[in-house]
Amino acid sequence: MKRWSWILIVVLLLTTVLTACGGKQEAQTEKIRLALILPSTIDDMAWSQSMYEGVMAVQKEMGEDKMEVAVSERLGNPVDAGAAIRQYADQGYNIIIAHGSQYQNVLEEIAPDYPDVSFAYGTGYEAHDNIFAYDPQAQEGAYLQGIIAGMMTKSNIIGVVGPVEAGDAIKYNYGFQQGVEAVNPDAEVRIAYTGSFGDIAKAAELAKAHMDAGADFLTGTAQQVVGAINAAKEHGGVYWLSNDMDQSSLAPETVISAQVYHWEKVVQQIIDAHQKGETGKHIVLSFANGALELKYNPQLESQIPQEVKDAVEQAKQQIIDGTLTVKLPEN
Amino acid sequence: MFAQLLHPDVIIGILATGVRLATPFLLAALGEMFAQRSGVYNLGVEGVMMMGAFSGFWVTLTTGSPWLGVLAALLIGAVMGLLMAFISVTLQAEQGISGIGLYMFGWGLAGFLFRLLVGYVTSVDGFHDIPLPGLSRIPVLGTVFFDHNWMVYFSYLLIPITWYILFKTTWGLKVRAVGVTPEAADTLGVSVARIRYTCVIIGSMLAGMAGAFLTLGHTNMYADNITAGRGFIAVALVYFGRWTPLGIAGGALLFSTVDALQLWIQVLGIDIPYEFPVMAPYVLTIIVLALVSGRIWQPAALGRPFDREG
Amino acid sequence: MILVLAVIGALLVGAFLLVIAGANPIVAYRAMLVGPFSSRYGLTETLVKTTPLLLVALGIIIAFRSGILNIGAEGQMMIGALCGTAFALAFPNLHGAILLPATILVSFLGGAFWGGIPGWLKAKLNVNEILSTIMLNSIAWQLMIYFLRGPMIDPKERSYGTGVPQTQQLPHQVWLGRLLPRTRLHWGIIIAIGLAVLVYIFLWRTSLGYKMRAVGAQKEAARYAGMPVERLLVLAMALSGGFAGMAGMIEVLGIHHRLMDGISAGYGFSGIVAALFGQLHPLGAIPASFLFGALMLGADMMQRAVAIPAAIVFTIQGLVVLFVVGTDIFIRRPDFAQRLFRRRRPAARKEGA
Repeated sequence: MKRWSWILIVVLLLTTVLTACGGKQEAQTEKIRLALILPSTIDDMAWSQSMYEGVMAVQKEMGEDKMEVAVSERLGNPVDAGAAIRQYADQGYNIIIAHGSQYQNVLEEIAPDYPDVSFAYGTGYEAHDNIFAYDPQAQEGAYLQGIIAGMMTKSNIIGVVGPVEAGDAIKYNYGFQQGVEAVNPDAEVRIAYTGSFGDIAKAAELAKAHMDAGADFLTGTAQQVVGAINAAKEHGGVYWLSNDMDQSSLAPETVISAQVYHWEKVVQQIIDAHQKGETGKHIVLSFANGALELKYNPQLESQIPQEVKDAVEQAKQQIIDGTLTVKLPEN
Repeated sequence: MFAQLLHPDVIIGILATGVRLATPFLLAALGEMFAQRSGVYNLGVEGVMMMGAFSGFWVTLTTGSPWLGVLAALLIGAVMGLLMAFISVTLQAEQGISGIGLYMFGWGLAGFLFRLLVGYVTSVDGFHDIPLPGLSRIPVLGTVFFDHNWMVYFSYLLIPITWYILFKTTWGLKVRAVGVTPEAADTLGVSVARIRYTCVIIGSMLAGMAGAFLTLGHTNMYADNITAGRGFIAVALVYFGRWTPLGIAGGALLFSTVDALQLWIQVLGIDIPYEFPVMAPYVLTIIVLALVSGRIWQPAALGRPFDREG
Repeated sequence: MILVLAVIGALLVGAFLLVIAGANPIVAYRAMLVGPFSSRYGLTETLVKTTPLLLVALGIIIAFRSGILNIGAEGQMMIGALCGTAFALAFPNLHGAILLPATILVSFLGGAFWGGIPGWLKAKLNVNEILSTIMLNSIAWQLMIYFLRGPMIDPKERSYGTGVPQTQQLPHQVWLGRLLPRTRLHWGIIIAIGLAVLVYIFLWRTSLGYKMRAVGAQKEAARYAGMPVERLLVLAMALSGGFAGMAGMIEVLGIHHRLMDGISAGYGFSGIVAALFGQLHPLGAIPASFLFGALMLGADMMQRAVAIPAAIVFTIQGLVVLFVVGTDIFIRRPDFAQRLFRRRRPAARKEGA
């Protein structure tokens, strides 16, 4: 017990010394100060990286003198995320984006204490006074990718490498299944989960099992899929449909298309709303408003038959004008 | 649906996957076995594996040679083992906590260095499968056992090698003596500290190699938290195997074959909530150990620092 | 004094890493050491982290004193919180004065059950507790996810189709009140400190506690003295798991107000460190948990202050643990340093490799 008092004394001493020699931070009012809370890392080649690049794009557009960005990574659990969000709010950040559906709860708890700060999270739907909820319609792009897979598959077996059966993974898989079903009722979509978001070795093994079982098209979500993509690349003869961001740089010969989220549009919208003093709203990312995009990998585009592209284009138009609604699970 | 599982191709697929998945467990657990036999349990295997995974990956990425990568992983493993041995043997620290410290340190450092030195997801050209001439042609067994890369073969060769070292050499005898009655071993002129240092370092080197297997022999990439708890499973398997190479091998194969089986159950679309297949290997490991348990033996001095002057 | 040197040593090695990362270590450490103590935010958040650390540590202490290393607190937290949450959601109309203690009790029982399994497996079937607790951690996580996305999911998540694995909010009357407005500091810290005193009384002032410590100190001797060693082991693990279960539930009641993935947040492991830093003494665990909480928060704040990769947080925490545990011997045996230099062990030079 005695040595704890020693530590306390020294810590307090250090505290005073360090406080004394530290400078003061100038507060600037005109500058937008944006803090980004990420569950994974800025280089995960998936969900977190795509948002990070979106924010960076906005910052580049606005200029670094107009916008300051702070990033905190690896805050997958709500406890540490809550501490980070509170600290940013305390330090006077104007906009705090917590990039994950798991942060809804934390924001609802913190936001009322900081009415001047705009908070945002997603995937989510519950917006409040100063909470924005952004909501990528992952099922829409998934549907289009389902069409590609359904029309092009030769084995009629399509494998999904899922993380945990929840949130965006459900939306994506559900839309994907509908897309396949619409063009090729004989094809079988086999959905399996690794039970983890980041275990790339397990994802690779799951992809191998899918391929050994005859799958010639694969897709999946979360940062774990980089392992599966690489396994598909090494296996050869199969295609990967990527989500979150364009992952074709990992495997240019394998990743045939990608559903890309244009986060910069969301971030810009939040900044604009904040500057105009608007209250929080539900921001949808869809094909209709151009925040979602289906990209073909230019290297493989020639391998996609024109009729497939036409079918995708047609479905996309129907989704945009509302004649086709991709369903979400109901119960 | 379950009939599909009995299809020969599926069974071969499951077994081959199981054999491959067992490799990191075998390497790390057989290494940890030495450490524990000498009386030191190292909970930090996970951290060492992360460092091994990263250093192997990074050296391969920069030099293009996975062999240098494995060498680097072994070296880093040795350094981390030295650190662990210094703290738990020389400084007689409580081993559970120093292991957790080592885990945090290695796990964090690997992620930190990755950001600093690489900073983006990429892949390397790792080790390729070497079908063993002749043997790989044997039906069923060939694909299951003899169509892998050298690290897989090496990990299985380690089973008889470690058994021989531990039970048939004088050095092995000393290790076992130090783990049971360090005082007696000391009076007989065995340097307890030197044996423990060697064992912890060997264990740590193999853990580093296990990590390198994940990046160079399995996924050919590195990502945050690539070990995903495998280091802790490896420690558990040492207890499962009762500190014998055969027992550990049995545990590793059981765990990873069930894991492979559950992946296939999901892939074949058998309809049960996926959490239950995912947890199956963990449940089964406990059940099997509970069923075969009898009189338990363990290195009597496990976890107990030795101090010559009492 | 030695402990302070150890912490400083760890920070010096850490400073080296900071410099490599291109950060100014003085600015960084200022944020790390000053942050948790210098503001209302820092102090309250430190205490927020202290609460689960202390509760887990208390459980660890009970198990350790009885001769078992419980590394399953992570899973016990989840199961405890799962049971407690299910209970509170099942009886939303009960008065808070009944529902709150009952919920905590249920979480205790849930954690005790999950901790009792390895205890029973060890006592009856000789299954090593390190093995079973590691496995049970993974099993608990999958079980929790299953319930969170299945039977216990928030109906709103289902109707909207987002499917985030979380339960609905708990009835307001079970929420633990906040001690200070605009902070997350809640009554849990008071509960935890109260329980620390109780555990101290239990272990040192009751005959059952004495027996448990006897089993931990000299298992065979305790057996000869006629103590039911096996039963005591199961009890110790159950109590240990129960405390972890409460830690999980109090996090839910005090902070999140609903059960969701990630609430255990690694406390199951850091709690072990806090327990051992506190000399495995229930009262020593109080300052130890506080300082370890400050270290966890401070490292996070440092990372945000100088914008360095988050992984360094874990690295520096690991370094502190290694240095502190490594230098512990100099405190236990003041003559150790002299002996070390006298005997001139060659390996002694390899510090901080």
